[in-house]
Amino acid sequence: MRPKLAAVVTVYRKYSHAQHIVDRFLDGYGWNSAHHHPAMDLVSLYVDQVGADDLSRERAARHPEMKIYPTIAEALTFGAGKLQVDGVVVVGEHGDYPKTEKGQVQYPRFRFFEEITKVYRDGGRSVPMFNDKHLSWNWNWARQMYDVSREMKFAYMAGSSLPVTWRIPSVEMPLGSRISEALCACYGGVDSYDFHGLEAIQCMVERRRSGETGVKWLQAYRGERFWDALREGVWPKPLMDAALCRSHTLTPARAGFTDVFPSVEDMRRLVPDPVAYRYEHNDGLKCTLLLMSGLIRDFNFAAYVDGRREPWSTQMYLPMPDGRTTLANFFSPLVNNMEPMYLTGKPTYPVERTLLTTGLTAAGVDSLYAGQKRIDTPHLAIVYNAPRESTFWRT
Amino acid sequence: MLTRRQFIQTAAATTAAAQMSPKRIALVVSNYRFLSPGQQLGDRFLVGYPLDGAWHMPDMKVVSVYIDQHAEGDLSAERSAQFGFQVVPTVADAVRSVDAVLIAAEPGSDLFEKCVKVFEQAGRAVPVFYYHNLSTTFDKAKTMVESSRRLRFPLPAGSTLPATFRLPDLELPLGCHIEDALMVGLADFDALEALQCMVERRGHGETGVRAVQLIEGGQVWGRCSRELLTAALSRSDTPLGLTVKDGRTQDLVASGELRKLVPKPVAYCVEYRDGLQATALLLNGAVQDSTFAARVRGTPEIQSTQFLLPPQPNGTDSARLIQKVERMFATRTAPDPVERTLLVSGILESCLRSKAQNGARLQTPHLAVAYRAKG
Repeated sequence: MRPKLAAVVTVYRKYSHAQHIVDRFLDGYGWNSAHHHPAMDLVSLYVDQVGADDLSRERAARHPEMKIYPTIAEALTFGAGKLQVDGVVVVGEHGDYPKTEKGQVQYPRFRFFEEITKVYRDGGRSVPMFNDKHLSWNWNWARQMYDVSREMKFAYMAGSSLPVTWRIPSVEMPLGSRISEALCACYGGVDSYDFHGLEAIQCMVERRRSGETGVKWLQAYRGERFWDALREGVWPKPLMDAALCRSHTLTPARAGFTDVFPSVEDMRRLVPDPVAYRYEHNDGLKCTLLLMSGLIRDFNFAAYVDGRREPWSTQMYLPMPDGRTTLANFFSPLVNNMEPMYLTGKPTYPVERTLLTTGLTAAGVDSLYAGQKRIDTPHLAIVYNAPRESTFWRT
Repeated sequence: MLTRRQFIQTAAATTAAAQMSPKRIALVVSNYRFLSPGQQLGDRFLVGYPLDGAWHMPDMKVVSVYIDQHAEGDLSAERSAQFGFQVVPTVADAVRSVDAVLIAAEPGSDLFEKCVKVFEQAGRAVPVFYYHNLSTTFDKAKTMVESSRRLRFPLPAGSTLPATFRLPDLELPLGCHIEDALMVGLADFDALEALQCMVERRGHGETGVRAVQLIEGGQVWGRCSRELLTAALSRSDTPLGLTVKDGRTQDLVASGELRKLVPKPVAYCVEYRDGLQATALLLNGAVQDSTFAARVRGTPEIQSTQFLLPPQPNGTDSARLIQKVERMFATRTAPDPVERTLLVSGILESCLRSKAQNGARLQTPHLAVAYRAKG
């Protein structure tokens, strides 16, 4: 039996996450030397905001097996009052939503979750759910989403493409490694790409010897305080340099050159609004997320592993359709990791990873809002073990 | 003219003396404009490059630069002032007293011959890296390789594609039996060279090419395996047409869109002497990246990959290439056999001849270039 899926999304326009993800169920995607079609049918769709650039109507016309419904409940019940699908894909990214006073976009992932789980409850049946990106901008809601998924015992996956995309070089953190410091140098904004960078770090450090123990505090640094922190050695500069040496997109620091390594002075000139989140796990591991828009346009990870002086590093490669490509193919491994969950009812990797990175993203926002103060995070004592199997794209 | 023995003795003595200090490099380039091969490759010896997660500075010094065609925007004078090398008026001045030479020339240039002349006169030859295609004609490319053998200097050549990152990180096992291979590329030499660096690992090594044919237009579709084409294109991140319009994924082959997007496909069909038939395709209008697929005996799935060309201006594929060049300059051992580039030069020349003869299949007995790929 091919599972039937419903998709619940904010907007369906070109290059929105919904388009990237839902299209891969409808039209398939390149995988392992073939054009792969998931062994399941996405049969219903709810779109929260339909604008002039909407593509969902074109998709429904081209894929008559997929019906568009005016409410989330109807998308899950086909208007028949009872849950009719075997899985739900939630994409609450992009769209026009108000911001909080802290600057977070209030994407309605919690509302989507509540409406979906109401149908589960009413029908007395729960089915697997995937939530794109972090669970919610609001930590309490995110925690509630996680707790409800556990109470109702449905398979729940979430997160970003970063843990599952290509790595250059193609390496995995050995399970049981001892990691003392980890860092991701990337780009983008707060309450946005910071989440992706945090996921890039977390999918690596969760494989360390102690397993994941949770995070006890976080401090954000922005603007001048970022440069002060760099000078004071708040995070190891050699680790940051190692990450930057995995980048393919270093803005040339000197006119007339195409690829030069930037000095700190160059970085100050090129990065007008740098942001760092520095945080410590309960077992003492320290991690740093660096948002360096203006200097790089990729995601680069580095860590000190097993006591070695030489950093261990790789790039999490995103073929980004911002002029570099036309297809955001990093959504292919994301969908490919969802498919087994809809087929077997078992998540491919733990949602606790994303629960933690959701909390870290919110803590970063909170620290910045509180004047870059250190925030204690006793609520992020999230304990879990990494999956044994690697799930990143390597075939 | 020196005898071969005299030449080798002189070379050995000079090499021993020069082993201690940083290698002295000459750049012999058509120009040093921003984003030119001369600038991108040459700069890596001046400002270093990313290597295995660190910024690597070669223990080598560019001491002389020859610019073949001074043009507006040339950066060599600026670099000379900053890095202290000489911009010299002749190739001879550039290469006379160096330990290694990097040549990035226009097709058909005589820069290599000028280097060889200096080597012969000086009785000392040093490693040369020749960027991209050796020559537009096989005969000339062969003479270049023969010169390097006669004067005993390593002459690796080629573009960045064989050296760049692959997604996935596919390397066909040495000695495998390749049943069919297909490359989809952006430019003829580069596509043929990427194809060659994969297929040369087959069987008992490269045996050379028996015949070639260049086909254009609709008949191309009947000449290549639909499965291999689908596999190669499954690795593309740049499908055009409907993907550009609304972001959708596409099975370009099954949907028939490929034929609509590419009014004039070009197939470079290569028949190897051991029976392998391989094809390099230029599908302008359909994709903008370089992908490969092959059927390998004993492996049920088609093997495929993308040769990643990272974005400009960094062009980090050239860092991967320069890593090999640097190692060759240091060890005098070619990273990959120059015969690869020699054979590709010949395949390309014959394919273009086939095109001029309306796509006739041409026998290529002169392309019996045999060599073994490096482990």
